Amino acid sequence: MSILELKNVSYAYSVGTPFAKKALDNVSVSFEANRITGLIGHTGCGKSTLVQLLNGLLSPSEGQVLFDGQDVNEKGFDNKSLCFRVGLVFQYPEYQLFEETVYADIAYGPKNMGLDEQEIDRRIRTAAEFVRIDPKLFDASPFDLSGGQKRRVAIAGIMAMDPEVLILDEPAAGLDPVGREEILGGIRFYQRRRGNTVIIVSHSMEDMARYSDRLVVMDHGRIAMEGDCAEIFSKADALTSVGLDVPQITRFMLALKQRGVDVRTDVFTVDQARDEILRVAGGNRHA
Amino acid sequence: MSTPFISVKNLSFTYDDEETEAKHYVLKNFSVEIEKGSFVCVLGHNGSGKSTLAKLLNMILTPDEGTIVIGDTEITRPDMTEDDIFEVRRKIGMVFQNPDNQLVATIVEEDVAFGPENLGVPPTEIRRRVDEALATVGMTEYARHAPHRLSGGQKQRVAIAGIIAMLPECIIFDESTAMLDPQGRREVMNTIKMLNREKGITVLHITHNMDEAIDADRVVVINEGELYLDGTPKQVFSQVDKLRTAGLDVPQVTELFCDLREAGFSLPADILEEEEGAKLLASVLL
Repeated sequence: MSILELKNVSYAYSVGTPFAKKALDNVSVSFEANRITGLIGHTGCGKSTLVQLLNGLLSPSEGQVLFDGQDVNEKGFDNKSLCFRVGLVFQYPEYQLFEETVYADIAYGPKNMGLDEQEIDRRIRTAAEFVRIDPKLFDASPFDLSGGQKRRVAIAGIMAMDPEVLILDEPAAGLDPVGREEILGGIRFYQRRRGNTVIIVSHSMEDMARYSDRLVVMDHGRIAMEGDCAEIFSKADALTSVGLDVPQITRFMLALKQRGVDVRTDVFTVDQARDEILRVAGGNRHA
Repeated sequence: MSTPFISVKNLSFTYDDEETEAKHYVLKNFSVEIEKGSFVCVLGHNGSGKSTLAKLLNMILTPDEGTIVIGDTEITRPDMTEDDIFEVRRKIGMVFQNPDNQLVATIVEEDVAFGPENLGVPPTEIRRRVDEALATVGMTEYARHAPHRLSGGQKQRVAIAGIIAMLPECIIFDESTAMLDPQGRREVMNTIKMLNREKGITVLHITHNMDEAIDADRVVVINEGELYLDGTPKQVFSQVDKLRTAGLDVPQVTELFCDLREAGFSLPADILEEEEGAKLLASVLL
């Protein structure tokens, strides 16, 4: 079932000036509920425009944005509630922390929703648990935390609003492998537990292969491909032609196949590759 | 052995923890030598001290203890003049992570001219250097474009051109590929390799992307402010457990070979690259 849907959406910036630029061109795509969808594409392909349309920060020049089947730009649709129902975490969200304590910063969103103290407290604790922020840090200033911790606090602030859809723009950019796992693993843990919808914008094919269920590929303001990870990463040439790539392990399996080993090439994680090679090697172990 | 281009000895850098007033070491008794013309990849988890090292090398920061010698100049000596510092920064250029934070002009070629202008280079020479630098990074056709309309990879290449126009001997790339898409990453990595191989520029490349270290001459791993591992990519990446302990990773192919070894295959531990790995595994399986 799809929860968010774009129907024939176009969006142009600076309309009526010599700098007018079409960022989205007749895009139709739907985001399925209860899944993690990876949104990938080269710089400037329209990913950020698309996510801003999804939570009502932008309105389409043409076409419709449907949330749960309802047109969000139609008169009478409660636009403010859309911000709470579709939570958006921008790139480098740690720059947006501003409160005196970690606790107060996470509380900001739910407080603005008009929830009572007790419910706010419950949500803060749950969100902190998802992103692995120790309650001991609640009284600390967010500015005394490490970069990775700050980012997790910022994400917890959006999770605490308990949105039906959580969108994150490059949540792991600039982090080391452990930091990436903390953030992306936390997001997946959150999604599996909550059963809601998550959309992650990323430039890392390896991360998307590991953490997303489905992929939407954009190119120059259009949807180039969509499907599950195996389907998309089996199209290495098509991905390269839109400025993207496949994970190194997929390139390895393709190279192995080219050398005459009969392996499947719709493999995109190291674990899958190991299992596939063990399967091909069969009982005939080279120990 | 020839004299190294950069020689770092017993370097320490600390800051005071406000609450406990204890000294916190970012780098501790750190020593390393970098050969002229080499391509060195620097790895380490967030907060390991990599960027601090980079900033000490071109005097954005000054160390608490230890010495740094660049070429024949000891840059940590107390009587460095303003002119001396300028010369160090000219010799050691730096390209940062965010392509949007380091372009200053509204036209690409003016941005590239910014460095040499500030060095007092004569105008005709600036023109020549700007043209050459843009040609080197393959951005000549964008000379008169506005930087903000370029892609991330193009912006970083313009930033690199701005450094090249100052005729540096060494460039430090501080996670310069972290914010780019795969295409932009390829563009910047190819530019970095070309500058090293064809122009003889010494390269220090700081990254979290293990794939980018495969082609380096040498990989230096910093952990908790100390030199942790140092060797060729094969020597370093074959130590999978040690790297994981330091919060790092290995290329996926290396990880796969490690898993297959555990499953009983007799395969080498130092396979990094997909083609060499495929060739080897095919010979085992077929």
